[in-house]
Amino acid sequence: MHESADDPLIARVAAELRRPVPLSPDFDARVMAVVRRAAPGLPSRAWQWLREPRTVAVSPIGGLAMAAGVAGLMFIGVWSAWPWAVSRQPSAVSRQPSAVSGAAAVSGRSVVTFVLVAPQARTVALAGDFNGWDAAQLPLRLEGSGLWTVDVPLRPGRYLYAFVVDGRRFVADPAAPPAPDDDFGAPTSVLTVGGGAVRAAGGSL
Amino acid sequence: MRQDESDAALVRRVLDGDAEAFGGLVTHHGDRGIRYAMAMLGDAAEAEEALQDAFVRAFRSLRTCREPDRFGAWFLRILVNRCRTRGAMRRRSAAIFVDDEAALEGAAARPPGDPDWREEIDRALARLDGLQREAFVLKHVEGLEYEEMARLTGARIPALKMRVKRACDYLRVLLQEANDARVR
Repeated sequence: MHESADDPLIARVAAELRRPVPLSPDFDARVMAVVRRAAPGLPSRAWQWLREPRTVAVSPIGGLAMAAGVAGLMFIGVWSAWPWAVSRQPSAVSRQPSAVSGAAAVSGRSVVTFVLVAPQARTVALAGDFNGWDAAQLPLRLEGSGLWTVDVPLRPGRYLYAFVVDGRRFVADPAAPPAPDDDFGAPTSVLTVGGGAVRAAGGSL
Repeated sequence: MRQDESDAALVRRVLDGDAEAFGGLVTHHGDRGIRYAMAMLGDAAEAEEALQDAFVRAFRSLRTCREPDRFGAWFLRILVNRCRTRGAMRRRSAAIFVDDEAALEGAAARPPGDPDWREEIDRALARLDGLQREAFVLKHVEGLEYEEMARLTGARIPALKMRVKRACDYLRVLLQEANDARVR
C-alpha cells in the first residue's frame, strides 16, 4: 500500500525525511570504542571462570513428578563462604530442592541453577548476558526424564537470558519474568542476582 | 575491512572473535539508522545516542541474530526499541485533528532540502502520537511492507494501517497550518 504515491504532500514529506542525515565524523569511532571495551569478553573470560571446578549439587530428580506438565522452572541457590545455604525458587514451584550443598567458589558470586523441563529436546543450552549469548558455552545436562539443568555462578546484577533448544529455538524461561525490553528478536527472561541474597525478579509459572 | 563485505560475513567474523569487523556493520547501517532516529526523536544528539546504544546492544547480543544476512532488519528492531525507550513515544505537544482534504497546497511546491521545510516536518512529526509517528516513518520513509512492520513492532497489520492513515491525516493538517502561518 503506497498512499504517499497518491498524495503529493505525503510524498514530499517522505522524500524530505529520506534525505541523508549527517552523522558526527567521530560517530563510528565512538561506537567502536564502546564495542572494544565490551569485546574482551564475555565469552572468553566468563567461560574460563565458569569452567573452574566447584562443588555444587542440586538433586532435582525427586521433584520430577511434581514438575510433570510444567514447561520450565528455575531454582536459585545462594552459597556464601559459610557452610549454610539459602535457597529460593519461584512461588509456583512447590518443593525445596531436596539437597543443596556446596561452597562458594569465589566470594561474591551466587550459584544459580537453571532448570528446564523439555522431554522432547535433544539439546538444551543457556545463552545470556553472562556468557555473551553464546549457547555453545553453557549446555544443560540431562538429569533424566526430560529435566535439564546447569549451574552458573553469577555476580550480583541483572541478566537477560534464554534457553536454546536443539541449537536453534530460543525459549524464554517460563518460571521467570520476560525481559521488558526484549528487542533482540528472541524471547528473553530476566534474572536479578542481589548482593547478599538472590532475588528472583518476580513472576512465576 | 573490505567495503563490499556482506553483513553475513561481518557478523560471522565478529562472532569468531574479530570485534573490529563490527565497524563494517556500523558503516553499513549508520546512515539508515541516524535517519530513522532523527525522524523519531527530532534531536541530533539524542538520535546519535540512541543509535550508538542500539549498535552496542546489537554487538552484545549478536549471537541472537539468527539470520546474519538480515542483520539490517534485526538491527532496525533494536533501534526502534531504543528510540521508544528514549521517549520517542511521547507526543511533544497536543495534536489537533481536523478533517481537511484541502491540506496539500503550498507545501507540495517546496524544494527538497529546504531547512525551514524540514523544521516544519519535524515539528509536525513531534505532534503526532508516537505509535503513529513510528508507523509513518517505517512505512513511508523506511519503505517497509506491513508484514515486516508487524514483525518488527508486534502490532497487527490493521492497527498499523490505521496508525499510518491517521499520521498522514494529521500531517496534512499540521503542515497546512504551518504553511498558512508562514504565508500570512
